[in-house]
Amino acid sequence: MTGGAHRAAVCAIALLICKSAAASPAQDYMLHCMGCHGTEAQGVPGKIPPLANALTRFMRTPEGRNYVLRVPGAANSALSDAQLAAVLNWLAVTYDASAAKNSPAPFTSDEVAQLRHTPLVSVLAARNAVVRSLAATGPAPPAQY
Amino acid sequence: MHPLDRAFENSARSLAKRTSRRSLLASIGQMLTGAALLPLLPIDRSARAHAAQPASAAPAAAAAKPAAPPPTAGVAKPTADEQNCEYWKYCAIDGFLCACCGGTSTSCPPGTQQSPITWIGTCNNPGDGRDYIVSYNDCCGKVSCGDCFCNRNEAEKPMYRLSRNNDVNWCMANTESNYHCSVSVILGVAEK
Amino acid sequence: MLTLLAGSEPLWAAAAATTAKAPPPPPLPVEHLTTARVGPKSPHWVYVLDEAFNNEIDTRVYLFDGDTHRRIGQIDTGFSPGVSLSPDGKTTAVATTYFARGGHGTRTDVVEFNDNDTLAKTGEIIIPPKHSQSLAMLFSLAYSSDGHFLYTPYLTPAASFGVLDPAKKTALSEIDTAGCTLVIAFGPNRVSSICESGRILTVTLDAKGHEAARTSSDQFFDPDQDPVFAQGVPLTDGYAYISFLGQVHEVDFTRAKAVARTPWSLVTGTDKGTWRPGGIQIGAVHYALGKLFVPMHRGGEGTHKQGGSEIWVFDLKTHQRTARWVIDTKEVGEVVAVQVSQDAAPIVFAATDKADVLIFDVRTGKLQHDEKKLGQTPSLMLNP
Repeated sequence: MTGGAHRAAVCAIALLICKSAAASPAQDYMLHCMGCHGTEAQGVPGKIPPLANALTRFMRTPEGRNYVLRVPGAANSALSDAQLAAVLNWLAVTYDASAAKNSPAPFTSDEVAQLRHTPLVSVLAARNAVVRSLAATGPAPPAQY
Repeated sequence: MHPLDRAFENSARSLAKRTSRRSLLASIGQMLTGAALLPLLPIDRSARAHAAQPASAAPAAAAAKPAAPPPTAGVAKPTADEQNCEYWKYCAIDGFLCACCGGTSTSCPPGTQQSPITWIGTCNNPGDGRDYIVSYNDCCGKVSCGDCFCNRNEAEKPMYRLSRNNDVNWCMANTESNYHCSVSVILGVAEK
Repeated sequence: MLTLLAGSEPLWAAAAATTAKAPPPPPLPVEHLTTARVGPKSPHWVYVLDEAFNNEIDTRVYLFDGDTHRRIGQIDTGFSPGVSLSPDGKTTAVATTYFARGGHGTRTDVVEFNDNDTLAKTGEIIIPPKHSQSLAMLFSLAYSSDGHFLYTPYLTPAASFGVLDPAKKTALSEIDTAGCTLVIAFGPNRVSSICESGRILTVTLDAKGHEAARTSSDQFFDPDQDPVFAQGVPLTDGYAYISFLGQVHEVDFTRAKAVARTPWSLVTGTDKGTWRPGGIQIGAVHYALGKLFVPMHRGGEGTHKQGGSEIWVFDLKTHQRTARWVIDTKEVGEVVAVQVSQDAAPIVFAATDKADVLIFDVRTGKLQHDEKKLGQTPSLMLNP
């Protein structure tokens, strides 16, 4: 585990005590993402993509990780790079049945910082392209939602 | 370093030594979902049951089941507070108070449909001094309630920051997207 | 022959008896039912959108004459509309939602076209059921400067917009804005959206209305520290974005990438920290005079939608305040929307939260007229 992720993990546990911690990833999800993505990260059919049983599949490849960090909700959110990494990593383990078996490497704040500030041009087109290429090599998020 | 920090560092390190990185993340995940989330939206109690189970077992089952219909509240008995725009929970609400429309601050009026999407804010309760996270769902599918219009905007932001905006119709994703009234549901205490 | 009740007389007989000499007036002429015409346009007209909060499926636009204080007519605008006038002034376009059974039922979203000479609907384009349902702004529907394209925002809540051909009544393309919202048109083929990142996204279109290129401006505001109102104020070379704390960010939209000028402040000295801009349509500019009109109120965080207890007037060249018009808020309410006529004897229209529309003479600063209850929730005004 890298230093950054380790610190994030420690801070995540010591919610009220860690000096540099912001709120927990669970609270950050609640405040910044849950309004649209839902209490179970299930999304809304036809309108909002699910994160449950989907996010870790995006995290399998650099292309997928790139997409996740550049979707508007992630790229533009008020969360810092470290907070965003923590929320995504928390979502990955909390809402994916396969996380325990074959979880991908967690996001680091460096990785987030490098990718999030280049906005996507067309979110849906990008998603479709990424999902197609993931489906060719293993478990992929649902093509339709 | 604060002694408690040290204690947590040590326990985290020993956890790390004994278990693989993946299960460490999973363990942390469980601790967080169990401890940090206080009661969620009443429309989705299955999330609490999910949080109590091991991460590997629950989500697949939860994902396979169709969503349970939202629980009914019984006959609404709104308090006088809930029908007042100055009520602390309404610190960033925009619309008609469902408590004046046949519902309460936590229940939609009969025959309306809850919005699955919402925006989430934080209001201070002067009664106990705490900041609470609240969810401003809309109730949809009927024409404007027309009673108890209330618009407050603490920490509200323009619509380019949708997750903090109360100018848009949060019924927009409902099949029946007409706007009837708004609720304010406590999701939990805001951690500082 | 009238049959009289015993003991009574017809009134005319009684009248004839007492005023023996005066003959009755001739009977009124037969009338013919006609339909009024809109008549020759005046720069002192204003299109007032009534959001009708208590019955939101029933919004409408009133065409109001600021000189005669008369309603000229009405355009119905459905549920949560966007409204825009064509550059040639001949058409009012409306983007809106209708439900098949009034308040419920199958949702159909449309862009409707209304002839401004007759106020009759002349056509429509059916758009996907994604019309952005939100508080109407000047940027909830927008024509290109030459009227060839019409841009309509979508929000599902994913953000995008449709490019329409208003002449052929067809949809040309849908353009994803990656979370940025509204349609801010400038020039014949550029349309922008405002982003959470504090930037303006600008899309340049080709002749067919498809995306040819896009740019992001540099960040010019911080949505956490001092957000700008999403509703910009039209300038001759772009739009001014006013912040919650009273900073004015004038943004040049004349090129493919929007460029913000150095901001200046509406509040200086002791006004800082006390006075803030607020409302919905929070600014209007008279281009020839170079004057900016802003509703201002005393308040703190969370009061950005509170209407003004004064209207402040600024010189756009010097950035100095040149006048402050005090509003009798107890009597008329607080000002939530301002618009100014663009002629040489300009008037400012100010809509309040009590649904009054005030009319000020710009040169004297005097309140000329208080139109009571122009609708239920007037919140957006457009010049003819």
